[in-house]
Amino acid sequence: MLRGLRTPDPTRRTENYFGPAMVLPALLGLGLFQFYPLVSAVLNSFRTFNAFTKRPTGWAGWNNFIEIFADDVFRNAVLITLIYIVLMIAIVVPMALGLAILIDKRMRGTALARAAILGALASSEAVAALIWNQLYEPGTGLFDAILKSMGLPEQPFLVSGPHAIVSIVVMTAWKDVGLPMLIFLGGLQAISPQLIEAAALDGASSWRIFRRITLPLLRPSLILAIFMVTVAAARLFTPIILLTQGGPDGQTTNVPFYSYAQAFEFSSPGTASASVMFMMVILVGITALQAFVIRDSNDGGRR
Amino acid sequence: MSENVDTDLPVAAIQSSALSKRAPRDPVSLIGTISLSLIAFAFAFPIAWAALTSLKSTSSVIATRYPLTVWSFFPPHPTLENYVFLFNELKLGRHLLNTAIASSGQVLLVVITSTLAGYAFARLRFPGREGLFALTLLTAFIPLEVILVPLYQVVSGMGLTSTYAALFLPFAAQPFGIYLMRQSFRQIPPELDDAARVDGAGTWRIFWRIAMPNVRPALATLVLIQFIWSWNAYLWPLVIMQDPDKQIVQVMLAGLKGSPNYSLDGPLFAGLTFVTVPLVVMAILLQRYYVRGLMTSGIR
Repeated sequence: MLRGLRTPDPTRRTENYFGPAMVLPALLGLGLFQFYPLVSAVLNSFRTFNAFTKRPTGWAGWNNFIEIFADDVFRNAVLITLIYIVLMIAIVVPMALGLAILIDKRMRGTALARAAILGALASSEAVAALIWNQLYEPGTGLFDAILKSMGLPEQPFLVSGPHAIVSIVVMTAWKDVGLPMLIFLGGLQAISPQLIEAAALDGASSWRIFRRITLPLLRPSLILAIFMVTVAAARLFTPIILLTQGGPDGQTTNVPFYSYAQAFEFSSPGTASASVMFMMVILVGITALQAFVIRDSNDGGRR
Repeated sequence: MSENVDTDLPVAAIQSSALSKRAPRDPVSLIGTISLSLIAFAFAFPIAWAALTSLKSTSSVIATRYPLTVWSFFPPHPTLENYVFLFNELKLGRHLLNTAIASSGQVLLVVITSTLAGYAFARLRFPGREGLFALTLLTAFIPLEVILVPLYQVVSGMGLTSTYAALFLPFAAQPFGIYLMRQSFRQIPPELDDAARVDGAGTWRIFWRIAMPNVRPALATLVLIQFIWSWNAYLWPLVIMQDPDKQIVQVMLAGLKGSPNYSLDGPLFAGLTFVTVPLVVMAILLQRYYVRGLMTSGIR
């Protein structure tokens, strides 16, 4: 960036026009389809709307927020969102790390496992949800058939609330574990083999090497992976609408699904925006907290 | 700490599998290979099972699945009738075309906006450059769910509801693409520009003739990732496309799930297979570019 202190060079001066002209299409797109809607969403959360025309009719102050907090379904949706986040982190992050470590060893079968994981990642969320729906199908699904043949009790995978939440998380973990896995893989490959070799020669056990060398050096990857899993978990939508429609009885409804229903089923853009605004604030809080906790604990461990 | 350089230490032997790129034939690597095969099976299973099930007739999809027999997995009498029904009765071709239009529109626009902006952010100097770039990256943190309603209002305000343009225009500019292209353009040695400038080439000519041919791998990555993302879109088309004839294939397939009158399970499996398997195979064959794109999107 500092290269070339501005020289009075005539060819360079034309860049003054070329630069802005070349970024213009991108900025127009982002301005119109990202920034303007974002500002709108913030404003909408403080507006009243006509339920038929869906046009703003005036200012609501904090009424939209007061309204959603008075709504049991919304309060439950916040709780469900947090449960999704916790479950996704608890399942996906260790799974991704384990897979990355296994794949990093480059044994026979690595290419196959890697291809299968990337294949799941490339498949569409909607297609994945529709396939898993057939696996989970209560009474006639493949999972129940397998459980029954092993003499185990059949499970109400999508019929009971807690089961349905876990079912949604497992399906999402299957589909999306590849991304954090790649992040860990990148982190592992950046660790110098000499460092591990030296520790091994010093007589450190595999576990000790992992705990004392690999894991601390993976910290940036860990922060990134947890961040991405958190955001993905908070945004879960397609599996919910396709597997459970938020049910049974609202027990799998998270904030994005609540917001969608408010906007497109109850024609209430104000409360729809207020609910996702609240989610954004919570999400920023959670990721800030994560960054703080991860940094703190590891610094403490090293000293 | 003592530097113990005794190569005969047993610990070193255990660790060697982690260090060497080759696979030694020992019990540890055998267990590893078995686990890797199981992992590959678990991740490939749902899609492979759907593909096998798509060859069953609709009436036998559920009948042969439960209770469990070998025919829960394999079609007892393989048939292509679901595919025939899907194309003839459910007009899958039409919906595939809709998805293809939306995807190619998005890929084309993203390539244009990303290469132009990426080049300007990487190689040209103009006032406000760093600030604008930071603003661009900021949009990476705006989830679609948050702006869904106002975005719907913008697009319908432009009179685009239920048009093809509505499917891809909102995603014409993306922070991921701009960042990816900027990083790639930055890696081109500045001497190339200088040499061309001495030869009298203008900014546009340098961009088009010198810079663009040097970022082909990044372009391949951009095209592949955008194609996969747009091919897999669901929420936005569900909201903005109200003309069933122009609806993309994923939303149309989801509609088969709850068909009230008679079961469309067979065609559903056929559709899922037809839409996903080519994409998955493509991602695996082009995984060099795919992984690069994913890593960039993760590290942005």
